[in-house]
Amino acid sequence: MSIECLVLGAGQDVGKSCVVATIGGRRVMFDCGVHLFCRGRSSYPEFDRILAASGATDFTAAISCVVITHSHLDHIGALPYFTEVCGYHGPIYMTYPTKALAPMMLEDYRKVMVDQQWEEGQYSYEDILRCLKKVIPLDLKQTIQVDKDLVIRAYYAGHVLGAAMIYAKVGDAAMVYTGDYNMTPDRHLGAAQIDRLKLDLLITESTYAKTTRDSRRAREREFLQAVHKCVSGGGKVLIPLFAVGRAQELCMLLDDYWERMNWKIPIYFSAGLTIQSNTYYKMLIGWTSQKIKDNYRAHNPFDFKHVRHFERSFINNPGPCVLFATPGMISNSGGFSFEVFKKWAPSEKNLVTLPGYCGPGSIGHKLMSGKSTRIEVDKDTHIDVRCQIHQLAFSPHTDSKGIMDLIEFLSPKHVILVHGEKPLMAFLKERVESELGMPCYYPANNESVSIPATKNLKMSATERFITSCASEQTEDNLRKQKLICGSNMSEANTDRKLAEGILLMEKNKAVKILCEDELVQVLGMERHLVQNEPMVSSRTGAAGE
Amino acid sequence: MSNTKQPISNRLRSLPVASGGGLPSKTPTRRSPLPAGEAPPLPLLHQALHPPNPMGDPHLLSSAHPAAAAASARKHPGPIDERFSDPSPHITKRPRVAADAAATVGSAPYPEEEVRSLVIMAGGIYPLARAEALRGLAAVLEKAGTGCCDGAGIVECCYGCAVELMRDEDEGVRLAVVRLVGLCAQKFAARMDVDAKSDGDIMDLIFQQLSSMARDMCTKVRIEAFGALGKMQRVSDGVLLQSLSKKVIKTDTMSGTIIKGQKLPPKLKIPCAAGIFAHGIEDEFYQVRTAACTSLGALAKFSSQYAEKALDLLMDMMNDDTETVRLQTLQALFHMATYGYLSMQEKHMHMFLGLLVDANALIRNAARKILGLVNLPKLQMFKSAIDCLIASLEKNPEEQDIYGILFSIGKNHGSFSANIAKHLAKEIATASDGELILDRPRVKALIIVSISAPFSDDKHKKLDIPSIIFSHAISLLGKVSCALGEEVNQDSLLSYLCHKGGMPLWGNRSVSVEFGESESCKVETVEVGEQIENTAKATKCLDRVLVMQSVESILQTVEGAWTMRMSCDVCEARTILRTCKEELKVLAENSSGSIGAFLSFLCEYLDAIRLVVELWQLIQLDNSYTVGLTAPDILLEKLNISVRRMECCYAGLNRGLEVQVMELALLANLLGLSNIGACSKAVLSKLVWIINRLEGLCADGSCELSDFSREIKKTFEADHIGSALIRNIHTSVELFRLKPTTDFGALKAISGVLQVCDNNSENPQSYICGLPVGVSFNISLWNISSNHRLWLHMSIGESVQHTFLDFSSFEGDGEVKSGSMVVPLNTTPMAHSFVLRVCLIMECYGGISSNQERHGGPSDCVVQLSDELDVYFVSTGQR
Repeated sequence: MSIECLVLGAGQDVGKSCVVATIGGRRVMFDCGVHLFCRGRSSYPEFDRILAASGATDFTAAISCVVITHSHLDHIGALPYFTEVCGYHGPIYMTYPTKALAPMMLEDYRKVMVDQQWEEGQYSYEDILRCLKKVIPLDLKQTIQVDKDLVIRAYYAGHVLGAAMIYAKVGDAAMVYTGDYNMTPDRHLGAAQIDRLKLDLLITESTYAKTTRDSRRAREREFLQAVHKCVSGGGKVLIPLFAVGRAQELCMLLDDYWERMNWKIPIYFSAGLTIQSNTYYKMLIGWTSQKIKDNYRAHNPFDFKHVRHFERSFINNPGPCVLFATPGMISNSGGFSFEVFKKWAPSEKNLVTLPGYCGPGSIGHKLMSGKSTRIEVDKDTHIDVRCQIHQLAFSPHTDSKGIMDLIEFLSPKHVILVHGEKPLMAFLKERVESELGMPCYYPANNESVSIPATKNLKMSATERFITSCASEQTEDNLRKQKLICGSNMSEANTDRKLAEGILLMEKNKAVKILCEDELVQVLGMERHLVQNEPMVSSRTGAAGE
Repeated sequence: MSNTKQPISNRLRSLPVASGGGLPSKTPTRRSPLPAGEAPPLPLLHQALHPPNPMGDPHLLSSAHPAAAAASARKHPGPIDERFSDPSPHITKRPRVAADAAATVGSAPYPEEEVRSLVIMAGGIYPLARAEALRGLAAVLEKAGTGCCDGAGIVECCYGCAVELMRDEDEGVRLAVVRLVGLCAQKFAARMDVDAKSDGDIMDLIFQQLSSMARDMCTKVRIEAFGALGKMQRVSDGVLLQSLSKKVIKTDTMSGTIIKGQKLPPKLKIPCAAGIFAHGIEDEFYQVRTAACTSLGALAKFSSQYAEKALDLLMDMMNDDTETVRLQTLQALFHMATYGYLSMQEKHMHMFLGLLVDANALIRNAARKILGLVNLPKLQMFKSAIDCLIASLEKNPEEQDIYGILFSIGKNHGSFSANIAKHLAKEIATASDGELILDRPRVKALIIVSISAPFSDDKHKKLDIPSIIFSHAISLLGKVSCALGEEVNQDSLLSYLCHKGGMPLWGNRSVSVEFGESESCKVETVEVGEQIENTAKATKCLDRVLVMQSVESILQTVEGAWTMRMSCDVCEARTILRTCKEELKVLAENSSGSIGAFLSFLCEYLDAIRLVVELWQLIQLDNSYTVGLTAPDILLEKLNISVRRMECCYAGLNRGLEVQVMELALLANLLGLSNIGACSKAVLSKLVWIINRLEGLCADGSCELSDFSREIKKTFEADHIGSALIRNIHTSVELFRLKPTTDFGALKAISGVLQVCDNNSENPQSYICGLPVGVSFNISLWNISSNHRLWLHMSIGESVQHTFLDFSSFEGDGEVKSGSMVVPLNTTPMAHSFVLRVCLIMECYGGISSNQERHGGPSDCVVQLSDELDVYFVSTGQR
């Protein structure tokens, strides 16, 4: 038996994650994402290859099930296309929060498609709804029997609300597909958590294959220190962020700090943020970190004490304050964060934080790339940037240490890396092979890897054989008991005995272990003994004389 | 070659068939000697055939189930049936058997047997049984002493077994593994103490193994692993530093993966320790973070370089969202500060000073305590700390202990506070009347900081504090004395301030002089005392290492005092000895166990030394020998009692300590000789006995016979009457060197507490004149063994009654025994009332006693075990 792995996306690349694994004849598709920097059909995985590989005529027959790990577009974006356009009608699994967040994400992406006027590969809003109707929600550690042989189970992965790692097993062959995960917890999400499983294959993401990050605590401290300095100097802090996730984390951090410092300085949330966070986080409290779960009954941690709604008129208010605003990258085209930025950037007392990633062309990107003090908005207007800039470095992906830790913890027989850049993956592959001694692959898109899988054979042993082993053992023990009244303990760990026997595999019969005696009987033969007569050569003696 | 059915020749080996075929017939007879704790051999076989499957495949398990195998065997009756029907109940009970074994460890004569069977069980297929077996091993290990050689083998065996199960699929097993490995590490460390082998490799290996367990997915395992890491000792610097940084540090020492010629398993080749604490402090569960913080602080005492980096991590923890974690972090920092490993840097100040104005009073308090101990390298940092304390004081005026902290900060940074004082003096001078209001917390605080400077440690610098500060401080007397703590009398403080402030002295002159003197006397001890008391107050239970540090410095002072005696400065030597003893007493009160026993032993020792010093002075002053009970006689008797107490009231004196006591006994007897001026037979025989004992102790070369004893032995051998001894007494005594050892092993103090039920001077017990009366006592005895002979010493005026104490019926373990008993007082005086004085005494068995048995009473060589107790009696007619 073997596991066949066809990488349709995210092979030596980040984007359109999609892996089809064939385990003992069952095909499972993990993730079904789009590539955010491509357009049209090319942004989707090449689904036709599945048919080519399986020889089936339609996807429903070829694929046993589709499992989506989390709600980011590069993991879920192509799903409506696959089900509604390509016509897959089999089961689709994802976790509850992913199912809840998916419509919003997919609808956002559909708007982009419409904006960019894709010629092909579009799907409609109805497609999204129809697709999500077919989804079967999963809970953590819930074992689902997809069909007679195939079993899947989800484990907590951190990363984003509802992210999961998927364990799949057919017969004795087992594998784990991680999706994106985070091994270090943050303020609102826990760390990835999985049992020690016996695996033939682990498919893991490798976004930060070479980076080792220092403690998140240090980053928190730097952030707080920057905010503290600015606010105590009477300045205003602008924190442009995307809607769900990071905003909640930073807000919890600040709220906590405010509480300890006993400050009354206002923290503002621009309108859209609170509504989204409250609906999703209050609903899905079970998927957040331990601390939140612990305190949830006493106080919903997403009801921030020091946070207020921001109103447009507050922009010119005097005195220090902190403001969270969307969108994250401060784009030229508009958005609330840009509006505030225009007003606050010219004062050197103020502080602007930048998220870890800013798209090229955005103001955030310009601020990040260098000390640009003058930003041209259009021909006539420009902004003099004199405020301080602080770069946030909180990432929801695990670093290379975390990847290695997970691989080591699971100790699979084989490792496949996906979702990363080729040179970095090559580096990590070397490490995995040299340090952990596991064969490691990082196939490119549309390549497939085949690895051998475990098959356990049931076998029985004859009574004779067991008795003989047992009695040998007893004798041995008795002998030892007499010996070790004194001191020598060293061999206590090593006195495991090998049993000697003959493995008999007959056609159409169960495998058996026998004693040598029995073999003679089974084969119906007589025992022969071979004797050697030593021959002493007399010639050597003669030569000596 | 020939084909035959029968083997012809014994010389020739046939196929190894015979060994398998011949045995089964023998088995039934061999069945019986299987001990209850012994694992039946069956599961082992199954283990070999079917390695445990994580998925718990039902088919596999059922086929491997020994009971099933046995059942199938029963279907085929035959000679083997009997063999099989027996072990099956055994197997099903296995978890319980392991637990039983663990519980009955104490009584087992052969721990090796137990370990062997538990190790075999640990290899079983059922995870609960495996975990239970590991717990059993831990129990055996805890009971087994490290001293004996077979104990050592057990540790190795347990460790090996634990390492094998480190990657077990079951969380419970892994948890038990961590506990066992942690325990093994402690045993290894303890053994290395004995061996004095600096073989840290194994400790490094264990540290790495525990580190890899600290990345486990199970929270409980992580908590346990971090706890165990904190208890590690003798870990090399490289590994410690690696544990703080996720990035692998490439050094030559790190590549040492070959331990004792045995290659590490491949899993451990990657530095598992990398950044383990960085992971620990950002864990999702606060329990893990707390454990990680504690361990971070605990390990700091082994390496200053590590401590510096650990501080960075701990400082980051101040932003934690759980209060428990923050408090624990502060506790860890405090721990580091008490060991002197906390060097605050400028980058930490922002975070740390924030804590001083934290909304939580507990946090503020803990942060302040640390600040009182820490060393700030820069004036700027010092000033900002002071400013922050002042701000905190203004915010929370009820927290008066801030003054105390200000004082100790000032004291720790003498030159900085002198600087503050200079500025303050200028401020005071330039301020016109009424502008500088002393009520303002800032000025109060600054004055306290300023006057703390003269108490600072950097004496080499001349710190002149303007006298105007002292005169202002007078009005803050209450605050100042509060800041100084209770040990300084307010009057003497006032006169000191007046004196320093250049005021006309208002009190009697002597007070000020006394304070000046006591200040100089204090200098010796304050250094030690101040630090200890600060920490003692805060922690109550003193850390062993810390205590030993201060004990060592006290003993150095004592040795200095002894040499001072040589220069005839007896008075000062006495004062120093007294203060040192007081210091030790403070420490002893706060310690327990063998270290407490050692401290009280040292107190006794210092007492004896002081007596020797005093006696020697008397003898030197007055060489004419007088008759009758003179002061030297009293001192000598006291000295003898003191020596006897040291000899008899401590169980488990090790060789070094015993030599120390014996030399003191030798000295005491020598002084006795010189006092009497002639040699009595008893004294001489005592001397002989002591010298023999000393020689016996030093026979194996573990300690050396000192010059002093060797000299006495020489003179004694030359002249058996001892006249030469008396002649040479001066030179001999000069040879005596004070070499107090600090190695005390498992010392135990023997003591007793005697209480009388329901009796005091207000509520006396009634009696009828002339008739016996029963007195009921509650008695608690510490570290008394059955071969000690205890008596109750009861005295009414001159008449004494001894009653033998039979404590065999007392309840309690080896350490404490207690019970109550009614003791008859045989005769009562013909009086209206009387007071009975009772105490517990113990007979000394040993050569020094003259062994003259009195009638029914104890031998004359006794030591008092408990304090004397007064029992009040009143005649029935008087009530």
